[in-house]
This record gives sequence, C-alpha cells and structure tokens, in this order.
Amino acid sequence: MKKYALLNIFIVTLLLTVTTLHAQTLNWSSLNKSKQLIHTFAGAEYGLVFGVGYSYKLPVNSFPLLVTAEYSFPSGGTLTDDFKTKIGGQIPLIKLDHFRFAVKAQGIFRRYENDLVRLANWGVDVSGTIGYYRPRWFAGAEAGLDKAIATHFKHSNQYKNEYRDVKDGWFEPATGGNFYYGLQTGISFQRYDLTLKGGNVLAQDFKSKPILPFFAQVGCNFRF
Amino acid sequence: MIFKSNVSALLFVLFLVACSTKDRTLTGAGNLVAKTADQDPGLPSIKVNNYILHSEAYGPFGATMIVALHGGPGADYRYLLPCKDLAANGYRVVFYDQRGSGLSQRLPKKAYTELGEKAIDQMYEELKSVIEHYRTRPDQQVVLLGHSWGAMLASGFTGKYPGLVRGLILCEPGGLKWKDVTDYVKKSRSMKLWSEVLNDASYIDQFISGKEDQHEILDYKMSMLSSKNDITGEGSFDPAISWRDGAVIMDALFEVGEHNKSDFSAGLEQFKKPVLFFFSEKNKAYPESWAQKITAVYPSVNRVKVPGVGHDGIITNPEAWTKTTLPQILAYLNTLQ
Repeated sequence: MKKYALLNIFIVTLLLTVTTLHAQTLNWSSLNKSKQLIHTFAGAEYGLVFGVGYSYKLPVNSFPLLVTAEYSFPSGGTLTDDFKTKIGGQIPLIKLDHFRFAVKAQGIFRRYENDLVRLANWGVDVSGTIGYYRPRWFAGAEAGLDKAIATHFKHSNQYKNEYRDVKDGWFEPATGGNFYYGLQTGISFQRYDLTLKGGNVLAQDFKSKPILPFFAQVGCNFRF
Repeated sequence: MIFKSNVSALLFVLFLVACSTKDRTLTGAGNLVAKTADQDPGLPSIKVNNYILHSEAYGPFGATMIVALHGGPGADYRYLLPCKDLAANGYRVVFYDQRGSGLSQRLPKKAYTELGEKAIDQMYEELKSVIEHYRTRPDQQVVLLGHSWGAMLASGFTGKYPGLVRGLILCEPGGLKWKDVTDYVKKSRSMKLWSEVLNDASYIDQFISGKEDQHEILDYKMSMLSSKNDITGEGSFDPAISWRDGAVIMDALFEVGEHNKSDFSAGLEQFKKPVLFFFSEKNKAYPESWAQKITAVYPSVNRVKVPGVGHDGIITNPEAWTKTTLPQILAYLNTLQ
C-alpha cells in the first residue's frame, strides 16, 4: 500500500513539474508548431475522475506522432488507493482536407483497492477517432476498447474471513474489457484547447454494462 | 560472471513462478468465490424441486419449525446463524440458501426472467418444499423468520398460504408493494458521485467484467459492492458476513419485479395472527414512518425498534440479538403456543 502511495506521489510530482502535459482529446489543426502539450481533465469514467497528461510530438514522415503519458485517479475518501496510468501514442493516419482519422494505442497500469481486495492490472486501450479539424474548433467521433489483460489479486483478511480458500496472484486470461464510443468537440484559442467528450461504455459481451455505463470529460490543453 | 548469470537465471525463474497463473481463472470453481453445494458434495444440502440447496437444520425434529429466510435476493443464511439460539430453546430451526443464492445451485438468468411473475411463485414453491422436506409430522407448526428480502418472501408466502403459517417474524422488508420496494432501494443505495462507496462499486468495472451467466465473476463483483452501506448501516456497526452472493438471481428477480410490479402483500388480509416486526435505529432509509407504512397491511402487528444497529445488526449484532431481538422472538413464540 505504501509503495503505491509513493508511486502516486512520484507520478503526480513528475507530471506537475514537467513543462508539458498531454490531451487525449485534441485539435490536430491547432497543434502546428507546438511540440508539447499539457492536459488536465475531469469527468466521469468508472467514477468521478481527475487526471493530468503529457504529450510530445515526434515528426514521423509528414504525420505527427504524439507520445503520451497520462495519470488519473477517482474521487473518494482515500485518494491514493485507486489510480490509472497510460503510456502510448496516437497518430493521424489519414488526412483529407480538414478531416482526419487518428488511431491511439496505450499500455495501461491501474490499481484498485477496497476493504476486501487490492487489484493491480496491466491492460491496453486502443481506439480510433474520425473528426473535422479547424484551427479554432473541432468535432469528432471516437470508438475504442479498454482491455484488462492480466490482473493481480491480493485479498484482505476481511475477505479471507468470508472465504478462506480464495486465491491470490495473477489471473488470466483477460479479466475484463469494455468498448466505448462517443463524440468529442472543442475550441482552440491562443495556446489553449477547451475540450468536451462523452459517450457510452459497453462490456465486451455487448450486453452487460458497467455501473456507470457512460463517460463524460471536460479538459484543457496547453500547447507550446 | 557465471555467478551473475546464475543469479539472473534464478531470479528470472522465480519471476516466472511468481507470475504463473496456473489454475487461476476468474471462472474457475472456488478460485474467487466459494463452491456451491452442487460443486462441493461436502456441504450440507437438500434436493428440492430438482435443485440442490445449501441447507441445514437444528433442534428437536418435531418441535415448532422456524424457517429463516435470508435477504438479497441473492444473499445467504450465514448472517442469520445467531438464530440457532432458538434451537437451544426447543425449536426446530431450518436454514437454507434460496436457489441461485449463497452456496445453493446457480441457474441461468433466463430460468427466472422467462417465467415472468411465476419466478416469484417458484420462490414460494421452493419454500413450501423446504418446509415439507423438514416436516416430520403433519401438525408441526411453522413460523417464518425473514430478513429484508426474506421478509418480503415470507409475507408473500403467507398471503398465498395463510393456513400453512403459524407465526411471522419480519425484519425490515424494503417494501411489499413494488413502488415501495423501488423507493426503498433508491433511498438505501443513493450514493454520492464523489463518494468512496460509489468509487469502490464502479471503478472495479474496468478490471473485471463478466458475461450474463458467468456466476463466479458476477457473484465476486457483487461481493465487492455489498460489504458496506453507510445509509442502511450494513457493515458500519457490525461486520457484514456471508458465504457468497448470488448476482444473477438478484438481477433477475428485480427485473421480474419491475416488469410485473410484484406485490408481496397480496392475500395478507387473510392472515389474522399477530406479526412481530423489527426495524433498526441506525438504518437511515428505514425511519419509524416507513416502518408504519410498510406494516399497515398486517391486520395485527407489534413493531419493535432495535437500538444502536443497522439493517443486519438486528440479528448479527450480539448485544442487540441477546438483549432485544431474541427475547422479543421468544416472547412472541410463547404467545403462539
């Protein structure tokens, strides 16, 4: 528990002290000469979450590849017990006038803890976004899959009092997965983008839904 | 160099061993949640209406039978075990996990939803069959002791079979008419968006997801939700204790109830015997006014407020049980003789 708390503090400190953070929701047209992005966001995604991110733009042929890092945590009485980190990249594959189709792939490490269990998970998040991008505004649609690949379970004594033979350790195959799809928009001015996105979340069986079957997020990007 | 290589190799092997996931799948029986009676022959069980139910009974065979009915739907009788004290007072006490609940056999969701309102009738028929299973003489008296959903089930059964029930002991049924049930559920589960409780309930959805009839996964996730409730006082004043939740039956019976607007008060006007009704001081969703409203359908009722406890504590809190609940039950049972 302590090591995760320290990891949390380290990541927050790192992301807040570096000069740039990233926006998962961004206006490709407003990037232009900016090489770095700072992004902060808040919204609903499996809970009320807050997050920060950082992106660095690498030129790959004529397309910008954004290498991204992101950290988010949900609200609650204990802020350090749950968190999610993502590292990956996104790149616009197709550009047609002001239309772009971009793909994103991120590795995920996330943690969850309550009175009964502590979970640590490795996963991936892949998505595609198609949108119309102008220098002052943009609008698009996004669809993706958030897959929990391998999860480590460590149960508390409270749970073991209920079921003493419960197994701890890494569980496979993939322990979960949710599809998400929705719309995103935003406006850009000076060095800033204000973004808004929202949509639905559906379990990988296309039938069941999570307790919060939607996501909604407001964000702010700072470009330079 | 060789030493370093060996150490590296050893560490690598240890890492692989530590990461081994042999036999650790979410759906493996017994991995995350306890096995059910059809998976573990060592559990005490009975076969009723073709389903294997986790069940046991205590006390003299022919004595007045008290059938303990757990909450949920989908909970189990582990937290009702203090009722075994009634066996020491000369009563035959019967416990069973309802179908799809606790350690009893699981059924697919469609086994309930395709039946519509008859799914509730099957719960009554199951209770009737459990009584018949344990009854050793035709004139053996039966008293139902139901907690929460179990109190709704006991009330519905009594309305349907008033002649079979000698006495009725109820603890905080959420409601008997469907609108009252949904109102109570809303009041008792209204979590704040920024609360740790909601976070604990919802954040786990990105780690684990289960398909419709993956009972092991769904039951495990349900156990993560139901350990504590600051509104009803469950887990707040006394540790919640259970064997295993039944997520599918809970979901299915709520769907059936919502679709058919189930009424657990039907026929209760025919039951003229006194009812003993408990509610708890610390359940914020169950004030005295709600207890009065819910008990209005019983022709004769004695309401008892249990001090210092929440929803489960009426039975699970040792002090409340020995000082309030058990003495009240024994006094009530004496009046039935």
